[in-house]
Amino acid sequence: MTPLGRMILRRLLWVFPVAFGVVTLTFFMARVFNGDPTELYAPPEATDALRAQIRARLGLADPLPVQYLHYLTDLLRFDLGTSFTTGQSVASDLWDRLPATLELGLVGLTLGITVGIPIGVIAAVYRERWPDFLLRGVTLSGMALPQFWIGLVLIWIFFVSLGWFPGPVGRLPIGVALPPKVTGFLLIDTLIAGKPALWWLTLRQLALPAITLGFSSAAPIARVTRAAMVEAMQSDYIRTAVAMGHGNRIVWFRYSLRNALLPVVTLIGGVAGHIFAGAVLLESIFAWPGLGQYALQAIERSDFAALQGFVIYASLLYVLAFLAVDLLYMVIDPRMRTP
Amino acid sequence: MSRHDLLAADAVAPAEAKPAKARRRLRTTWSLRIGVVVLALYIAVALLSLVWTPYDPLTPGVGDGYDAPSWAFLLGTDRLGSDMLSRLMMGARYDLGIALTAVAIASIVGTTLGTIAGYHGGVVDTVALRTVEIFQAFPGLLFAMLVVQAVGAGLLNVILVLSFVGIPDYLRLARAEIHAKKSWQYAEAARMVGNPPWRVAFRHLLPNSVGPVLAFTSINAAFAALITASLGFLGLGLPPNTPEWGNMIARGQDGVMTGQWWVSFFPGLAILGLTGAFYLMGDALADLTDPRRRR
Repeated sequence: MTPLGRMILRRLLWVFPVAFGVVTLTFFMARVFNGDPTELYAPPEATDALRAQIRARLGLADPLPVQYLHYLTDLLRFDLGTSFTTGQSVASDLWDRLPATLELGLVGLTLGITVGIPIGVIAAVYRERWPDFLLRGVTLSGMALPQFWIGLVLIWIFFVSLGWFPGPVGRLPIGVALPPKVTGFLLIDTLIAGKPALWWLTLRQLALPAITLGFSSAAPIARVTRAAMVEAMQSDYIRTAVAMGHGNRIVWFRYSLRNALLPVVTLIGGVAGHIFAGAVLLESIFAWPGLGQYALQAIERSDFAALQGFVIYASLLYVLAFLAVDLLYMVIDPRMRTP
Repeated sequence: MSRHDLLAADAVAPAEAKPAKARRRLRTTWSLRIGVVVLALYIAVALLSLVWTPYDPLTPGVGDGYDAPSWAFLLGTDRLGSDMLSRLMMGARYDLGIALTAVAIASIVGTTLGTIAGYHGGVVDTVALRTVEIFQAFPGLLFAMLVVQAVGAGLLNVILVLSFVGIPDYLRLARAEIHAKKSWQYAEAARMVGNPPWRVAFRHLLPNSVGPVLAFTSINAAFAALITASLGFLGLGLPPNTPEWGNMIARGQDGVMTGQWWVSFFPGLAILGLTGAFYLMGDALADLTDPRRRR
């Protein structure tokens, strides 16, 4: 096996201890702190016998270590258990909600990268002059403001005051039927179903949450890009490139930016991990039926299996995001291709 | 950098380099100054709110519900008719107090553990790092939500959870610093004259790493303030009528849909000022303490 393949394999295997640790942590934390959630799922007039029955059905009747062993053996068969709330298998719940989070996340992250990197480059090129100060003020506020507040303000301006965008009611306006599910991505499914009007509705619903996500991820990306660009542009090879008479655009984007990309890519990996783990508050403001809302609901309803399933998904995502970052390093920086 | 490089750099751009350096210095001190002044302002407001606010922040009905900003109520009133300005002022106590306390606890505990792990090395180090890695794979906000939901609302719980969330970062930071420095000559010298290990680690090595830790503390405070607000927004954390800013934003959420924007809007600005000040200070401190960034 090539060294690269071995590295990827080792990183992928690392998922298992991390997921195991995280699951164990969640399992005991949820149960020890929250006690018995039977009350939440039993009718108030339930008899003790009924309660015991419900408790057994939720899988909470056994002693903790037994429950834990059960859970782990199920996990080895990729069975994440059954959600108390939806009554469905957690795996299928997560799978159903994944496209909503991914679609919003992908559009938001794309916005963040395409806006953030040029802003960082411009700020670095004009460093210590007014475009730099202006852009740094904007990016600072993007980092310092809570995402949910940005979302609310956008709703206030563009929905309540101006009426340009639809209200925060999820992926489609209320009463509009979903297109037949193929990919789960509504922007694609509507096109497959041949309904451009529906595609337009979807895009408009997506706009405000995606812009919120884009703004708050563009801010750190721009800051890191600027810092790395400033460092790159002071280097000898850039001085040489300028001296040799290369145009500004080539110096900035081909030489400086490429050399400044490593920290930016690292950061984007972290941001992506955050975004795809479900922007909990953002999804709740825009009534977005994604994984973040699912996790929030699981916490509120002490839905143990759902919570554990989500946490496994999120930690998996982190490991994968950072693996992707390391692989991207090799694309960007040829020196890393020979370990 | 070799002597040759230095000469070459001088020959090519002596006039360009010097003002840039001076300007950078100036900017760093300016962002530090702005950050410190804004933070001092917040502390002043928090203290002032102990003795004076325009109205009682916790009493509903000092105005009608949803009064727009006016001379009587500078920032308007919320749905229950409480004065927004008074509530914002009192809120400074919560958001600032929680962030500062949590960060103080996290930095002390995390740095101590990290110093031990970094200096001791071996099994202790490995165990610490692996544990930290697991905690870091756990999304911070989710962890805080889970614990606070479980152990119940309360100021102390929120502070403890936030400090716990911060510990892994300090541990990693301090560990990396100490690990890198423990084989330096001055550490060797300190050992040679008979200092016990804890003394070398905490008296000789740690003070040399205070810069990066301090810079991170400031960034971490911003993060803690944001999580505090998020917990408040979810209604976890503090009792319902607490004028914590995130809590206030949540209370104004319905008003935003019907045009009463001010209830949610102003607490957001309050958060912006506080976290922005922390970020500015953190940046400036990082610039000042990191020789690589200083040039």
